[in-house]
Amino acid sequence: MATVTATPGHQAQNTDAWLTIAVVWHALLCVASLGGTFWLWQTETIAGQSWLQTLLTVLLLLMAAASGLAAPLIIRRDHRGRVLSLVVNYLGFLVCFFGAWHVLGIFSGLNDLAGTFGRGIPFLFAVFIGYLVGAFGDRFEDNPAQQQLFQRIGRIIMLVAFVMFLFAIGLVQGLIAIAGRIDGPLPIALAVGSVLFATMIWVMWRQPAADAMNANNSHTEMLNGYLFLSPNLLGFLVFFAGPLLFSLYISFTDSDAFSTPNWVGFDNYADILNMSIAQLDAPNQPFSEVMDVSTYSEMTRFNFFGQNIVIGAEDRLFWLALRNTIVFVLVAVPLSVIPALFLSNLLNSKIPGMKFFRAVYFIPSIAAVVGIALIWQLLFNATIGYINYFIATGIEFTNQILGTAIADPQIRWLSDSRTALLSVIIIVAWQTMGFNTVLFLAGLQNIPKDLYEAATVDGAGSWAQFWRITLPMLAPTTFFVVTMTTIQAMQVFDHIFILMNPPAGPNNSTLSMVLYLYQKGFQRFEQGYASAIAWVLFIFIFALTFLRFQRERASAYEG
Amino acid sequence: MQSYRLTKILTNTTVYIILTVFALFMLFPFIFMFTTSLKEPQDTFRYPPRLLPREPITTFVEGFDEPLPLYYVEYEGKQQQFALAQDNIKIGVYADPNNPDVTYEREIREVRPTGGFTNQETIPIDGEEMDLFDIEVDGQVIPMIQVSQTALGRFVSVENPEVSVLQNVRLSQPVENLTAHPENYREVIELQGLDRSLINTTMVTVLVVIGQLATSVVGGYAFARLRFPGRDNIFLVYLGTLMIPFSVLIMPLYQLMVWIGWVDNMAALIVPWIFTAYGTFLMRQFFITIPREIEEAALIDGASRFQILWRIFLPASAPALATLGTFSFLYAWNSFFWPLVVINTGNVQNHVLTLSLNVLRGRASDSPNLILAGAAIAILPPLIIFILGQRFFVESVTSSGVKG
Repeated sequence: MATVTATPGHQAQNTDAWLTIAVVWHALLCVASLGGTFWLWQTETIAGQSWLQTLLTVLLLLMAAASGLAAPLIIRRDHRGRVLSLVVNYLGFLVCFFGAWHVLGIFSGLNDLAGTFGRGIPFLFAVFIGYLVGAFGDRFEDNPAQQQLFQRIGRIIMLVAFVMFLFAIGLVQGLIAIAGRIDGPLPIALAVGSVLFATMIWVMWRQPAADAMNANNSHTEMLNGYLFLSPNLLGFLVFFAGPLLFSLYISFTDSDAFSTPNWVGFDNYADILNMSIAQLDAPNQPFSEVMDVSTYSEMTRFNFFGQNIVIGAEDRLFWLALRNTIVFVLVAVPLSVIPALFLSNLLNSKIPGMKFFRAVYFIPSIAAVVGIALIWQLLFNATIGYINYFIATGIEFTNQILGTAIADPQIRWLSDSRTALLSVIIIVAWQTMGFNTVLFLAGLQNIPKDLYEAATVDGAGSWAQFWRITLPMLAPTTFFVVTMTTIQAMQVFDHIFILMNPPAGPNNSTLSMVLYLYQKGFQRFEQGYASAIAWVLFIFIFALTFLRFQRERASAYEG
Repeated sequence: MQSYRLTKILTNTTVYIILTVFALFMLFPFIFMFTTSLKEPQDTFRYPPRLLPREPITTFVEGFDEPLPLYYVEYEGKQQQFALAQDNIKIGVYADPNNPDVTYEREIREVRPTGGFTNQETIPIDGEEMDLFDIEVDGQVIPMIQVSQTALGRFVSVENPEVSVLQNVRLSQPVENLTAHPENYREVIELQGLDRSLINTTMVTVLVVIGQLATSVVGGYAFARLRFPGRDNIFLVYLGTLMIPFSVLIMPLYQLMVWIGWVDNMAALIVPWIFTAYGTFLMRQFFITIPREIEEAALIDGASRFQILWRIFLPASAPALATLGTFSFLYAWNSFFWPLVVINTGNVQNHVLTLSLNVLRGRASDSPNLILAGAAIAILPPLIIFILGQRFFVESVTSSGVKG
């Protein structure tokens, strides 16, 4: 594939020399990793962070093993040696490179960048305009000269604007500041490390080395695959999969995010779920007489076949949050799905202006929840808000028409514990309804038209058509919409946090699961406990989705 | 045939009415936000509420230095516009003790006590001594008692300031016209440093969108086109994680930020969010629909995988890129929970818009016009982009993995 310029013999010699260097490099790396592991268990610098020590040990030992394996494999010209070498060097390069970024303060430099970024925004617009000019050239598809001219002008505008953007946001000053920080041993070591690893990647990656290591097409494809996936996969591991496992770990500890966590086993889960039931002698018997109030607090009392039962829970607020969340989901999901189904059926009729309405219904779902909650806070105002005004006007109108004497209820939406959760439900339903309408509309447009034609021939009315054709054919979309809305509703937080003051609402009536988790994890910093709550929430969501999925599959096979 | 057409027109009208009612329901909060953000503070506290911003008119009247507010006043049986010259004039309501049903209103400071200030005459009524005042009625002075007190305003005619009417100010209707106070936006920007927050949000959004597009495109290409061991298992894991709620991740991710030292840093708002399983999934789904033949021809011509991706796949995937771009834009622009956790309230420099609004909510609770101006600053940019790229937005939702 590659054009060969040097004599083959000379090039092979050259490649062999480079591969020998690679073998030495891996041998050194293996020794260095083992030494590093040894040092890790001698030094006191990371004492107390046992999980970090374990993690680093595992990583270093893996590196030592990979390097130790790679060296003999390269000597034997086994292609697996090349793969191992590339993986080790690639990871080593990333660690050194981003470690250097971190040490040189490039990440924290993003804060300063924000200060100067404003000056660059006009140039970003200019880049966009350059793109538009280039895209405009595509209109002259039958005139390639003109098309190319536009594309070239667009490219030049984009390039110039981008360079000016870089200058405007202070690239030069930033680079000077960063260069000034290269003085200690650590940044220099990391920089040298980056260069060394990068060189070794080049040594192994280039075509002569591939040929010498007997690489075939599927090997190349595999290496390309890992390379292309690597940014995504590594980010996924570091910022998603790793934290996920770590979350499970800290849910078994008393972690407070800053000091060393202690293992507490299932205590968090036990505290969350611990409940007790007792029988009362009289319906109004004090709770303290039947249960230990140092552990339990009263949740509810009721009459069960003539016996007075009281239920106490160790973490009353958790059960309250769970109840609120369930009530929220049970009301908000139908409220945002059923009108959406109805609206999408109206929109699906072939009438002009359908696209306009579709766009309008979509608007609430693109707006920031924080802004929306602020708007609705005023609309819900008990004395001057529009909602009570509309209610009062409606009642007055009814009274005049029908001669009734209904009194204006003057609902105190946000400060009454009976209506606070309802207020949140109304906002969420309003916001998700339009999005769901658009989803349903997409599903409706996939239903074959001849089904309806056949039904019309058979004499089925539009009502029968809706129940017999539309709903069954729409079932997959309905499943998707209901599941997504439910998962989102179970995690309601932003709306409540902005709308309510304090966020838990009057009498904890708007305390949701995620809000409770936030209070525990980030106001009291009981992060171990909060993680346990998060996992309980996850299990609920998972069970719900799984159950729905099973039912969906069952009904799909029946149909 | 005639009745069929009539039914059709009736049905369509009903459909349009219902659709319009819902459209108004969807739009009303935004209209309310926009008009309220242009109001004066006192105009926002009116009941019944009014949608459009209005402001009392003032006018200059001869003999007064300051401009005077105009009110509707009943004068000579007609409603006229008079200027409020003086407010809070103490008025006494007086009545003849022998005829208490007929009352007269007089300015208190112009009324003289009967018998002079030093020895005012009194009259016993129901066993209580009441002061008597001299009240002139039709040129005749009658001693009367004070029944009650009130405060009125003196309204003068604009053309002829000599003509004046006394009337209760609170119950008078002011003359108003439509106004707009766009300076509310400047005020709220200065009050809460929203300009910096806007720039922060813009920067975070731009970097997150670019990062997500880049990682998703290369990752999606690898999943769609390149064969390597473990590919399908990794993809399954990716799919599974789409269901995991963010609340499970928030604590460990926070601890990771503490450990790296990114708490209170913009890096925490950007770096963890440029890797997205959803975006990778979306791009992969799109890439597998591109025919293999073009790619194979390019491979035979010696093109590298990167060249194929850049020159063949990217130009062809504008719709998918637009979809992912809009979703990541909205996600980054509107996110609140994570910034709330990771950026401290005190660190105003690094606040994004949603955080600033959260602070503003407490600080400007007495001026809803400012709060809603802030909300508008956060809501309008995505809205404008939505209106410009409406086609992409809505079409993209309809194609995002929902197969009907």
